[in-house]
Amino acid sequence: MFKKIAIKIVFLLLILTGLNYIYDATLFKTDLEEKCEQVVEIRNSQNKTDIFYFAESSNFNSRETDSIKNSISEITNLFFPNLKITAINKPASHAGIFKQWLTQINLGVEKPKAIVVTLNLRSFDAAWIHSRLETPLQESMVLTKPFPNIVNRFLLSLQAFDNKTEKQRDMDMLLDWETKQLKFPFDFKYKTVRQWDNAMSQGSYLKPDGSWDDAKITLACHYVKGYAFNINDDNPRVKDFDEIASWCNKNKINLYLNLLAENVEYADSLVGKELVFLMRENRDYLVKRYSKNNCVVVDNLEKVPGIEFTDQNWTTEHYGYRGRMIVAKNLANALKKQFENKYKKAY
Amino acid sequence: MLFNSLQFLIFLPIVVGLYYLLPHKFRWVLIFVASCYFYMAFVPKYILILFLIILIDYFSALAIERSQSKAKLAYLVGSLTANVLLLCFFKYFNFLNENLLGVFSLFGKEFHPINLDIILPIGLSFHTFQSMSYTIEVYRGKQKAEKHIGYFANYVLFFPQMVAGPIERYETLGNALKVEQKPLYQNLSDGFKLILYGLFIKMTIADNIAPFVNQIYSDPLKYSSSEVLAAVFLFSFQIYADFFGYSTIALGCAKLFGINIMDNFKTPYLAKSVSEFWTRWHISLSTWFRDYLYIPLGGNRVKLSRWAFNILVVFTVSGLWHGANWTFVVWGALHGVMLLLEKYFSLIFKFKIKEKWSVLNAALTLKTFVITSFIWIFFRAENFEKAKNVIKAIVKNHSIQPSDLTLTLPLIFAGLLILFDFFLYNSRIDKQLNSLKMTYRWAIYTVLIFCLFALSGTQKFTFIYFQF
Repeated sequence: MFKKIAIKIVFLLLILTGLNYIYDATLFKTDLEEKCEQVVEIRNSQNKTDIFYFAESSNFNSRETDSIKNSISEITNLFFPNLKITAINKPASHAGIFKQWLTQINLGVEKPKAIVVTLNLRSFDAAWIHSRLETPLQESMVLTKPFPNIVNRFLLSLQAFDNKTEKQRDMDMLLDWETKQLKFPFDFKYKTVRQWDNAMSQGSYLKPDGSWDDAKITLACHYVKGYAFNINDDNPRVKDFDEIASWCNKNKINLYLNLLAENVEYADSLVGKELVFLMRENRDYLVKRYSKNNCVVVDNLEKVPGIEFTDQNWTTEHYGYRGRMIVAKNLANALKKQFENKYKKAY
Repeated sequence: MLFNSLQFLIFLPIVVGLYYLLPHKFRWVLIFVASCYFYMAFVPKYILILFLIILIDYFSALAIERSQSKAKLAYLVGSLTANVLLLCFFKYFNFLNENLLGVFSLFGKEFHPINLDIILPIGLSFHTFQSMSYTIEVYRGKQKAEKHIGYFANYVLFFPQMVAGPIERYETLGNALKVEQKPLYQNLSDGFKLILYGLFIKMTIADNIAPFVNQIYSDPLKYSSSEVLAAVFLFSFQIYADFFGYSTIALGCAKLFGINIMDNFKTPYLAKSVSEFWTRWHISLSTWFRDYLYIPLGGNRVKLSRWAFNILVVFTVSGLWHGANWTFVVWGALHGVMLLLEKYFSLIFKFKIKEKWSVLNAALTLKTFVITSFIWIFFRAENFEKAKNVIKAIVKNHSIQPSDLTLTLPLIFAGLLILFDFFLYNSRIDKQLNSLKMTYRWAIYTVLIFCLFALSGTQKFTFIYFQF
């Protein structure tokens, strides 16, 4: 019986191998375009790309009133007119997604000269780690798993990825806020995000008429939830970026961690210096950890003035034209060392 | 744990492998543990409800067997009441409250309902009905009470069919679980064929039709008559593929353990009448209602008016069994009414069709399909308003231009299902495949595998019948 079963299994595997070729030749590209157009973009643009620029929504948002709508990567490209910077963007992306995009670069064809990975501090926090957007993000990456494409397609149908429900993700986030202890080198009355958030929501802000300024309170609470955390070695995003750094190091491709600007001014005025302290601590952690080998950390954290953020009532890394130019210029300065003879002063 | 999940595709071979490696006396423990694990993957705490059902019916059956006449009946009534109360509490409590509120407000009275935040335990209607059939059979003296609580627990919990049937009788499933099964090649091979086909039906056909149907049903008035009509017919295929797919996988899984469970479907859309449809659709539920409700009510050995009453009662209760919503009741009742109308017309126009395939047969089949499809509207719509809108859209939305929804793929898959149904007429996939030459058989495997791997739906749709 076992021999019979073994023969049948071999037969099935042969069929599957043949079907994989058929799938590759027929439906795979359409599926990939539908589920993860970024991967198709990487594959299609590899031959003509010098620098890949991986980013989240910061690279395709602008202020409505901006007369110039160019993205950060496009502005950066103006400093290097003879280089081709290809931006690969997807909203809510983070290091965990970018590391999978990297694997789509075919090193056998032509290596890019550099990779810029744009990250923001919030992508390391509990709200982003346990974001509801994580499920579609993970789903989008199933077709790039290291199995035959037809198997990946089947895994997609089986929903075989980090496919937690929104409720589960919310619970995980709340648990982190409730249990993860905030570390300060000084005494601070709030030990967790939840405590801090509760305190902020107890009406720290009043309008001139004495009523609670709900909009301001909400924003302050949001800043606490977005930035009150300590990045450490156990953070999943740190582990993901470690993999990115090691991949680039192994393949001798220069890596630029483009750490985005946050609205530190508002964090300070709305919540206080303790929150700014955490933001700076986290920035310092990333700069220290990744400023080695062939990786450069481009620190934009405090470069953009508060007024240049397009969302004044929320925490985002979307900037008006001036803000985008500041970040792009800072990045261009970092790239200048590698591409000195290609650099041209654009602004 | 869903059948169409990676977890299950890993879980199943491990359990089957261990099952045949273990000595027979320990196998019930494995099935018990595996079934609990399988069920607890949904909502862990609800396993306690199943344990309660098991305890109630296990001890009730022993008591029934030991007792005489009145006491015997008292134990049966006690057991059935407990089961029905459990079902009612979890499934109908809020429904009852809503309706009481409606009645009270109709008479201008105040009523403050207690709304409980209850999630219906998956498959509760199936477990309770299966377990109830056991105590009834013991009461009737057709089944001996099981002394081994482990075996009885496995009868209620057996994971391949625990969440959506088929609703098995102890005589078949309970006893089969006690027999020492040998790992036979034919069982494993047939089990594989059934699972492959079931997954294909569910994941490739049902899950590719579902997005189209869901889209239309979400706001039918926005779509053209032809699109809504297509959604109505396509839902017939979706629910069939969904439930038939589940049942076929269940059959295949049981077969891997050497256990034959009943066929729940026999190409229902090839039925020539509504009454025939019910001998082919969800057979385990139809036979349950036949044996434990229709026949005790007198069946057809009564006056015509009483028979009509019996039919209406059975179908209405069957509708209510499906869900705590008046739409389900109407769905069931409409089937009953159609069955009565058919009977009425058959008394007027007496004809017999001899040929298996003929134009008349095809017309009758089509008529039955159209009738059942329209009745499905009440099953699919969340409420009467939605059902009304579906019908309204079909009748009135002729002038609306068709939207950009693509119908091609759902129609192709529905067509594929019809083709397979012709191939399987009055048979089953494993039997049909076994009757073919090897080359044809492997050609079909290849098509099924390609469709399953490369064309399955990519959105998550749980089995529709899991909600019951």
